Amino acid sequence: MKSGLVPSSKKTSRRNFIRTGMLAAAAAPALAAWPTNAPQPAEQPPPNQQPAPEFTGPGANPYWTSPGQFATYPQKAPLILLTDRPVQLETPRHYFLSTVTPNDAFFVRWHLQTIPNAVDLKEWRLHVEGNVERTLALSFPELVTRFKTVSIAAVNQCSGNSRSRLQPRVAGGQWGNGAMGNAAWTGVRLREILDAAGVKSGSVQVQFEGLDRGLGPRGLGSNRFMKSLELTDPVIDVCVVAVAMNDEPLPMLNGFPARLIVPGYFATYWLKSLSSIRILDMPDDNFWMKQAYRIPDTPRGNTTPEDMKSGKVVTIPITKMPVRSFLISPDGSSKIPAGFPLRLRGIAFSGYGGVKKVEVSTDDAANWTDAQLGPDAGAYSFRTWSLNWTPKTAGRYLIAVRATDTKGNVQPDEGVWNPGGYLWNKIEHQEIVVGEAS
Amino acid sequence: MRTLKWYAMTILAICILAGRGLYADFRAGVYTPTGPETIHQILPATASTDATYDAGQYPIYYPELAAGDGKDDVENNCELCHSPRYITMQPVMSAQAWSDEVNKMRKTFGASIPDDTAQKIIQYLGSHYTPETRKR
Repeated sequence: MKSGLVPSSKKTSRRNFIRTGMLAAAAAPALAAWPTNAPQPAEQPPPNQQPAPEFTGPGANPYWTSPGQFATYPQKAPLILLTDRPVQLETPRHYFLSTVTPNDAFFVRWHLQTIPNAVDLKEWRLHVEGNVERTLALSFPELVTRFKTVSIAAVNQCSGNSRSRLQPRVAGGQWGNGAMGNAAWTGVRLREILDAAGVKSGSVQVQFEGLDRGLGPRGLGSNRFMKSLELTDPVIDVCVVAVAMNDEPLPMLNGFPARLIVPGYFATYWLKSLSSIRILDMPDDNFWMKQAYRIPDTPRGNTTPEDMKSGKVVTIPITKMPVRSFLISPDGSSKIPAGFPLRLRGIAFSGYGGVKKVEVSTDDAANWTDAQLGPDAGAYSFRTWSLNWTPKTAGRYLIAVRATDTKGNVQPDEGVWNPGGYLWNKIEHQEIVVGEAS
Repeated sequence: MRTLKWYAMTILAICILAGRGLYADFRAGVYTPTGPETIHQILPATASTDATYDAGQYPIYYPELAAGDGKDDVENNCELCHSPRYITMQPVMSAQAWSDEVNKMRKTFGASIPDDTAQKIIQYLGSHYTPETRKR
């Protein structure tokens, strides 16, 4: 028996019967269905206990998250397992009812297999090197005390979040919507660290690297993971080297002891277990900049497999996150009685500077109503929204949610396709089943 | 006596009607012996007071790869850099797409897989992980 559940004996069954016997007698029609014997071991689990499939395709993944099994990891609640080496774990839907994604539920994505299990802070240093006036090797206490402490709420979203929605499907981490999270990141400004080292003239980019390493040959993307930002990019001024996440040390799997926060940008730049900041006088041509994490230089980063094959598509590094919104509750797992006063709840965010409006449709994107926005925790944070809605009659309702950011960008009702499986921000649709209440 | 009998029957009828009104129709006490797998809670590691911050080891959740020719080659080559979950996680893909992936691992990521072994791996993936062939 694989299951952890033990079949109940006849004795237990009989005791239950006696205890509820009076009730059953009163509810005569229920009696016919009443089990008088222990359940017999079934060949197949009943429909409501079928495990989700381990894979989907060739159609789009129809589930909110990827459908695989849950798994436990150190410092983590059970999360959805994508891969175990390198580790990729997805956050379940219900955690997004709040603007703060708990540290133990925060998604995990590493690129290389040799990731830190333990860090000795006696030895760990944050190196600032390259084209600088003076190289630095900051210890953890130096990093924390030498610079002003700042805190920012910011969404960390994998470039490939929702990759499993693309048609045709593309290879890569088959995330549903749960490769994202929002936290209060506390640390010091990147700009202050750069100023302390003194960026020399003629510098063009700043490169970041963490403690993770791969087993591939030197000089290839399978050996080291590095990402770079343009020194002229205004985002440099809002970047934080965070040592705390939601007022706690970072979980090892989320980048203890320090992680780069790049507000508004996809997570590929948010280097974990940060150990090196390098000032470059030449553009970074390592694999993770020159070949990976690139998007077509087209509206919404959209293209087709045919255009890619033709070789005419120009690509650029991915940067900002397009506006997105999600219905979190109800999630469609429970049938709702007609007349039930529901409160539709969810979150929205944009890498382009905050959410201005969230609209909800209860008739599959025909009519839209403005939702009420929750407290504003800053331009880079999740923002909650809610809308009261009472479905009056039984039926299948298609709920749609669409957000508009402060730059006026509105979520489209069409998907995107590019070979990396990036930038998905199509309007989300959720079926809610409403049953008769009398 | 007859009055008493009628009286008793009336009371009984009222009880049944009231009971049905009070307790709606329902189903209860149905359990199945074949539920989904359980997940163990993990105890926090015992921490020392020195400067080492240790999360412990990360678990391996080894997937069941399809049985067939080439499985050994996958285990002996692909698994050097990554878990076979990188195969089982993928959507079902065409044999050509699998071939492209294997070649990406060799050319872009530098996996040192000999030509004949790479062909066997491509054959294996194309035989078990396409829309037509994938079983689980």
